[in-house]
Amino acid sequence: MEAAAPRAQETFGSVVRRIGHTVFGKPGSVRRPLAFLIVAIIISSFVSSDFLKPSNLLALLTSTSFLVMLAVGESFVMLVGMIDLGVESVMEAAGMFVAYLYVFDHYNSIVAMVIGMLFGLGVGALVGFMVTLFRIPSFIVTLGTYWGMAGVALLFNGGNYINPDSVHPARPFVFGGIAQTSFGVSHLIWIALGAVVIGQLVISFTPLGTWIKAAGSDEEAARSVGIRTNLIKILVFMISGFLAVMAGIMITAWESSIYPNTGQGYSLQAIAAVILGGIPFKGGRGTIVGAAIGAIVIGIISDLIVLVGLPALYEYIFVAIILVLAGLQARGGPFVK
Amino acid sequence: MALAAGESEIEKEQRGEKTPLLSVEEVSKYFGPVKAVDHVSLDIYKGEVIGIIGDNGAGKSTFLSLLVGYYQPDSGRIYYKGQPVHIASPRFARKYLGIEMVFQNLRLAPDLSVADNMFLGEELKLFGVFKNGAKMKQDAMEALKKLNSDLKPDLAVERLSGGEKQIVAIARAVLFNRDIIIMDEPTAAISVNKVEEVLNLIKELKKLGKTVLLVSHRLEDILQVADRIVVFYHGKIRTVLENKDLKVSDLVHAMF
Repeated sequence: MEAAAPRAQETFGSVVRRIGHTVFGKPGSVRRPLAFLIVAIIISSFVSSDFLKPSNLLALLTSTSFLVMLAVGESFVMLVGMIDLGVESVMEAAGMFVAYLYVFDHYNSIVAMVIGMLFGLGVGALVGFMVTLFRIPSFIVTLGTYWGMAGVALLFNGGNYINPDSVHPARPFVFGGIAQTSFGVSHLIWIALGAVVIGQLVISFTPLGTWIKAAGSDEEAARSVGIRTNLIKILVFMISGFLAVMAGIMITAWESSIYPNTGQGYSLQAIAAVILGGIPFKGGRGTIVGAAIGAIVIGIISDLIVLVGLPALYEYIFVAIILVLAGLQARGGPFVK
Repeated sequence: MALAAGESEIEKEQRGEKTPLLSVEEVSKYFGPVKAVDHVSLDIYKGEVIGIIGDNGAGKSTFLSLLVGYYQPDSGRIYYKGQPVHIASPRFARKYLGIEMVFQNLRLAPDLSVADNMFLGEELKLFGVFKNGAKMKQDAMEALKKLNSDLKPDLAVERLSGGEKQIVAIARAVLFNRDIIIMDEPTAAISVNKVEEVLNLIKELKKLGKTVLLVSHRLEDILQVADRIVVFYHGKIRTVLENKDLKVSDLVHAMF
């Protein structure tokens, strides 16, 4: 009787929470986005028999690799409790910049890529300085880069796209062969996988990762033990900028052309992926792997819509539904205080 | 010179005059016209518990902030084991003088584990890059054990009770073997029945040979654990009382 007494006091909500935590792990656990992924895969394989074909899965992962890159960068920013709305515009601007240097200015493709990466690091550092030195909220600063970098992307070729045929003789996009394949798998997937693995290693197994989470969890606590949280904020925006540039180069190489508006919608998708992955808006917990899985879930939804033959607008509606579900799971469920 | 200084120290000890661990001499801190700390002198010895009381604004917090390097004194000197020191920052105070401050709001990161919080900013390294998680957990557990606690180092701090969080914050000082632990109102934010646990922790720290500076509005707590009681009044130390046969009313009388 004694032992049973506390059970009797359990509310319906606490039972739901207990079962939820047992099955899906605690908020921030990678088991949660994994559950979304499994559900998405099951639904997809019922809807289309082609879905589970290796060729379709590889195509899906390849076309999702850009979003994964952005989501990894966004994760670092959001772990500190900030947001980067500008990743898609940095991606576009960097893609245009690198393509311009390569096609019109005849730079070596490696040199062009390195310049592009420095550009991304610079933009990230600038955002970081605005956020820390001038104490402007990251939402506002990166809304600035969102518009500003989209403008920069338009500058390079007067608002036109750039492709190898933009000049004579044509200069085919090489970019170190990043759009080719090894072991039957696109380099784009390998690169994205590398970013996820390195990112997760940093977060889970290095002091820096702990400091990043601490800065998001309780900035005052982090600062009182001597962690330079301002430097950490600058660093995470630089990481985000760098990975956005990588995504821009990857998408340029893959499509063998780059439009100034290629990345439209990617910022919000990356943020959605991170939330799906279990990093809350206030930061402090969650995983890079989770965010990458979140990106893949969003990729599956758009793939599914193509497979079924629905108009693309349905993608937005599905992502919206998933996002609400993700938001609910992040706070523990509808019955939790 | 150094040898001579060493000899005189031994001589002093033979005469029963220990060098204070920390010695504050005529220290002042002004904020504009406000004399927050006004020519304060105090010797702090190893292994003693000093209670610090005084009305709001009497200068207690500013005084402690000077000891941990949050503020620099406008005048006066601070000696550490007989040598003059400039306590440049809280980091300096922690690393080189072994002074740890436990804040009233504890300043723990709720999402991080107990072990990660205890080692925050001073993580043990593996291959120079990685965190030595296993060793950190083990050391954290040992430090907690010294305080008679069997908290699991893996637990996220947000899942702990107020008293348990207090243990984690104090265990940090034990872990790094700090000599002086400054506690600001440790019993203010926890439930009444946990107060005894925190006071026992302070007694454990004393047993471990630590020096504890305890600021509290709860005079009965001070009376229970302090060896000496320092009374602040308008930025000055009004009196230092030996905690023998004192009653709460004596302290109240000294404060106002």
